[in-house]
Amino acid sequence: MLSDVTAEELMSFLNLDTRPDIKGQATEYILGLSGNRDGCRFLQTKPDLIKALVTLTTDPSIAIVKDCYHTLINLSADETMHRLLVKNPDFLPMLFKNILDPGYMFADRICTILTNLSRHMKTCKEVFKAMQEQGISLAQIVEIFCTEDYNKQASLHYLGPLLSNLTQLPETRQFILDKDRCVVQRLLPYTQYEASTIRRGGVIGTLRNCCFDHVHHEWLLGEAVDILPFLLLPLAGPEELSEEENEGLPVDLQYLPEDKKREEDPDIRKMLIETLILLTATKVGRQILKTKNVYAIMREFHNWEKEPHVVAACEKLIQALIGDEPEPGMENLLEVEIPNDVEVKLKDMEAKELEQLEKDKEDLLNPDKAQHCAGIVRMM
Amino acid sequence: MASHAQTADDSDDDMDGFMERFKKEKYSNAFSEDNWEEEFNKVPMFMKTAPEDIDPLKHPELAAIQSIIHDDDRPLGEQAQSLKDEGNEYFKERNYKKAIVSYTAGLQKKCSDCNVNAVLHTNRAAAHFHLGNMRSALNDAVAAKKFKPDHLKALIRGATCCLELKKYTDALQWCEEGLKLQPTDKKLLELRAAADKHKRVAERDARKAKVQEKKERSEREALLAAIKERGVKLRMPPPRPKRQSESEDGGYEGASKALAGLDLDGLCSTEATGARVFLGEQGIIYWPVLFLYPEHQQTDFISAFSESSSFLDHLSHMFGEELPPWDTDRKYSFKNLQVFFEDEERESLHQVNPETTLLKTLQHKRYFVKAGTPSFIILVKGSPFCKKFFSERKTYLL
Repeated sequence: MLSDVTAEELMSFLNLDTRPDIKGQATEYILGLSGNRDGCRFLQTKPDLIKALVTLTTDPSIAIVKDCYHTLINLSADETMHRLLVKNPDFLPMLFKNILDPGYMFADRICTILTNLSRHMKTCKEVFKAMQEQGISLAQIVEIFCTEDYNKQASLHYLGPLLSNLTQLPETRQFILDKDRCVVQRLLPYTQYEASTIRRGGVIGTLRNCCFDHVHHEWLLGEAVDILPFLLLPLAGPEELSEEENEGLPVDLQYLPEDKKREEDPDIRKMLIETLILLTATKVGRQILKTKNVYAIMREFHNWEKEPHVVAACEKLIQALIGDEPEPGMENLLEVEIPNDVEVKLKDMEAKELEQLEKDKEDLLNPDKAQHCAGIVRMM
Repeated sequence: MASHAQTADDSDDDMDGFMERFKKEKYSNAFSEDNWEEEFNKVPMFMKTAPEDIDPLKHPELAAIQSIIHDDDRPLGEQAQSLKDEGNEYFKERNYKKAIVSYTAGLQKKCSDCNVNAVLHTNRAAAHFHLGNMRSALNDAVAAKKFKPDHLKALIRGATCCLELKKYTDALQWCEEGLKLQPTDKKLLELRAAADKHKRVAERDARKAKVQEKKERSEREALLAAIKERGVKLRMPPPRPKRQSESEDGGYEGASKALAGLDLDGLCSTEATGARVFLGEQGIIYWPVLFLYPEHQQTDFISAFSESSSFLDHLSHMFGEELPPWDTDRKYSFKNLQVFFEDEERESLHQVNPETTLLKTLQHKRYFVKAGTPSFIILVKGSPFCKKFFSERKTYLL
């Protein structure tokens, strides 16, 4: 393995004044290191090297800047590196400054790094704090995300997963669910954004996370937001429904054409269903979903779906749609405190369902065990 | 000629009278030798020096000229502002047409103040809006935005106009621009929600219409296929009376035209009742059918005559217990009735066995369905009219 002497020698090459060919070889070597676990372990013990890489993201050579970003992406994909990266006082500010620049060539790399760093709650808070300290608001992030071709050289698709990760924080959910603004409404159309699975997944993850706040269910399902069609459309296919069933659906799902295609990514399909399941946790949510004929869509979907883990989620949703109402006082499944004497009365299905919902919530809000955050990207 | 001479005489008399009076009366208020210089001095063109203080009563012409000159000296922005205020007064009085005139005059000053111009366009847009001139209002909103892209009222006006014009995508675009400036503006949030909702309903209606059209097309194709399968020949309605049948010439290339004619033919009796040929359950075709009674110049219309029914099935009901009031001789009992169809090209009649089904009759090699409506002539067997009717044309009896 690399010796300390060699590290010092590498370090001496990693400054802006070094000859480009030598500097390039050094950054290329470090990129190779970052591609495996042992290399990361080594780099973890050399904060100065990382500091130098951050500095070199301003190098005049594009090839060197590219190598530095690739290395930083690899490091940010390793959770054990997060604290070190976040502690660097120049790192996050540099990222946020450049992400706003509509001409910055490496903005997509930055989005990827930020997505990786915000996957876990501790560093997610650091990322959010750094963002605020740079004077960047969530409104600006959403604005950039929703502005087509904001950066001609970068798609900024990874802002979607970043937003999803940030909704681990109450401040972010509060902003997105602000009734006095038009934020969640602007995100909804992206559930069907064909050009990018990443962007779609990011928005759907955001919506799912916001639906854990059950007090907002009625507003989300009402006229002001109308979240339901945007969750159902990716799950609806070309099957022909009867006139009666069609008229009962939200208008966006009525008379879909023969070439209608469903969401192609199974994990996204599952996330959509999980979001719908969350909406069935409140009485008002269940009533609206039943009234809007969600069952007809899910029945056809169930006939079509092949992935076992998605089928299981779908069956759980259908059960909630066609099952009996819970006993009075138990209508909000996310709020129920289960006394010991009442617990034995719950049916096995209901008990397991509740347990799963609580577990899902815990997984989300304590994401050291997170299962559905997107955006681990390792580049060589 | 005499009248002209009379006119000339009258003219001459009047002129003579005038000249006589002129000689006797002295011209009043003329410049006199005493005051002519003083009077000339008051005419601006001839005055030697302008007075220090211009009294409008003594020198009205000079006051007017001065006023014009002074108006030109006022800054254009100020003039535009005055006209804007004038327009606003008319607007308050709901006199939108005069308001538009004032705003237009203000814009024509072409002052350099972008803010004033933006407001003039926005206010004129509002006036047009209240008069129901949505396109003019929208054009003004666009112009206002060019002068001042962050003028919120113009953005709200633009969104409102697009919503009225059912340009929902454009309305959403205006709302997004406005909300970027003022993210919590209540009016913009309402407009955005309304535009979004209307857009989605319009899209649903388009999808539904498409589904409906496709369904109708497939039904029509199924119907045509069924007709073709049965060997029934269709004929276009007669703007070309001598021409051979379209269907006959081009096989069934003309068939869809024929059925298209079903919808378009204003002369067709189906226009009145709305009945038309259709394919029913178990693949049975139902035709609208005309019965003609030339003896009494009467007709009956059967809106859905099953191809598997016979003529007797209908005639026994129509001419059973109760005979029609126009049958004064009481002879149109169904037992006495004979059924014929006319071959127009050959001007001949073909008799039909009343017990035959409609389908079998339509399959006759000389039968051509016109405008989607088979028609048949009903006569009383052995009646004098019947004999006369036969004598006028070639008849193929059973």
